Amino acid sequence: MTVQSLEIRRSSASVWGSLSGARTVPTVSKYIDTTTCIGCKACEVACQEWNDLRPVATEQVGTYQTLPTLDAQYWNLIRFNERDFEGGLAWLMRKDQCMHCDEPGCLAACPAPGAIVQYSNGIVDVNPDQCIGCRYCETGCPFDVPRFSRTTGKMAKCTLCVDRVSVGLEPACVKACPTGCLHFGTKEDMLVMAHIRVDQLKKDGFAQAALYDPAGVNGTSVVTILAHGDHPEWYGLPANPHVPILVKVWKKFLRPFGGIAIIGAVFGVVAHYMRHGPKSAFGADQDDSNLPLA
Amino acid sequence: MSTVVPTAGPHLPGDPAVIVARRYEDVVVGHEIARHSLLSRFSHWAVAVSFVVAALTGMPIWSPVFGWMANLFGGLTVCRLVHPWAGFAFVLFSIERFFQWLPDMHMKDPDVDWFRQRATKKGRAGVDDSRVGKYNGGQKLYFWAVSLGAIGLLLTGLVMWFPLRFPPIVRELSFLIHDFTFICFAVSLVIHIYLSTAAEPGTFVSMSRGTVTQAWARLHHPRWYREVLSGERSREVLSGERAGGKLPGERPRET
Repeated sequence: MTVQSLEIRRSSASVWGSLSGARTVPTVSKYIDTTTCIGCKACEVACQEWNDLRPVATEQVGTYQTLPTLDAQYWNLIRFNERDFEGGLAWLMRKDQCMHCDEPGCLAACPAPGAIVQYSNGIVDVNPDQCIGCRYCETGCPFDVPRFSRTTGKMAKCTLCVDRVSVGLEPACVKACPTGCLHFGTKEDMLVMAHIRVDQLKKDGFAQAALYDPAGVNGTSVVTILAHGDHPEWYGLPANPHVPILVKVWKKFLRPFGGIAIIGAVFGVVAHYMRHGPKSAFGADQDDSNLPLA
Repeated sequence: MSTVVPTAGPHLPGDPAVIVARRYEDVVVGHEIARHSLLSRFSHWAVAVSFVVAALTGMPIWSPVFGWMANLFGGLTVCRLVHPWAGFAFVLFSIERFFQWLPDMHMKDPDVDWFRQRATKKGRAGVDDSRVGKYNGGQKLYFWAVSLGAIGLLLTGLVMWFPLRFPPIVRELSFLIHDFTFICFAVSLVIHIYLSTAAEPGTFVSMSRGTVTQAWARLHHPRWYREVLSGERSREVLSGERAGGKLPGERPRET
């Protein structure tokens, strides 16, 4: 849903690369403290309700997790990662949803002008009016987030409740969280909170506690606190996410090269014709019936 | 002796014998030679039309610079729906065309020589093409390149059509290969269209009505011209019918 059309930072398949908004606003961010998540799934329900998503049949995957993975009708999934430690099993909960990258791979891969936009406040959104359902964003995304809807023929993912945020409300999941594990505000404020919380965790015995705000995509508008920050893969997070190199080569090098090559070929044959003219049998037609076979 | 349609002077349009002769190839039709049979021409245009539809629906998805092409089909969403199916049709027609044309497309010494002369000699003067048969080296190369390219477009296109069935690296490579193959196709196609129209007058008719003039054949494909006139390439079916004095569908003429 494109709201805030005057506040767009980047737009997919734009021939100008990026657009600047009429106003600048602070980058917003969600704060997720995985150490205080109890797996109640209130955020999942709030997301479904606010975004009016259709119910999806749940699937037993051997844990309490609702679905094996995200769905076009399920944008927010608590992943119940189980891990054995000395002293017992631990649930490494993670809230799986769009990370709203500062450098979004989905947007880089998208071929439809304006189908994926990044607002000035950092939220990355799919515009269904422009989306053609080509699924390129599935390949561009380093977090495996966008999903193709067979109902609408378009992509769907978390909008960071851009409709709520644009009128000064926090996202539905944050509103519903009962433990204070989720917060919402400017990225600056969220980072301050997160650093305080990481320091606290280190004092509490989680020496490897860390903030997950990956530099490979220039940071995300979701800051995640991990007790085992040295092993993001335990939570199902990539250690070093970035826009795929080949997607960049494809869009930034091969595409302009191809355009120039094709247009160059047209100019080339025109120039060849002007220089050399046709290779013609004209003039020999009239008397060819009497020519020897050799 | 080659099969010559028995007409004195320019044949009349609608002459049943001529209509029949155009269904075959490598036969003399009056002052002309049938170069591409009816089936061969259908094959060519089936491949061509499906490719052009796939290209016009793919290019606006490839780059917004070609976005205007989407308007021909009613927008990008339609292009996204039509493109994979047009590509699928292109591959099917390409397979048929491949096996139909394969016997004439084996690279031989004269073809290598054709390339060598073009690489070493400047301009058209001094080039000796007397050994060029029905297809020259460049045409054969084009045949093999587009056949290989069709396979590349098919395999990478399937990955792009059903992305989540393949690992990310395969998808990323597919984007690159699909686009690179298309760029090669597009550049070759521009040259192909140029050579068959403006650069070599008389060539286009061989793909529409199937015939070329004898002068054209002698200039561009001298060995093929000699083979057709000497009967080396004439079709058994036609020579048999000629022996009976009639082509299929030929009615007795009143004199």
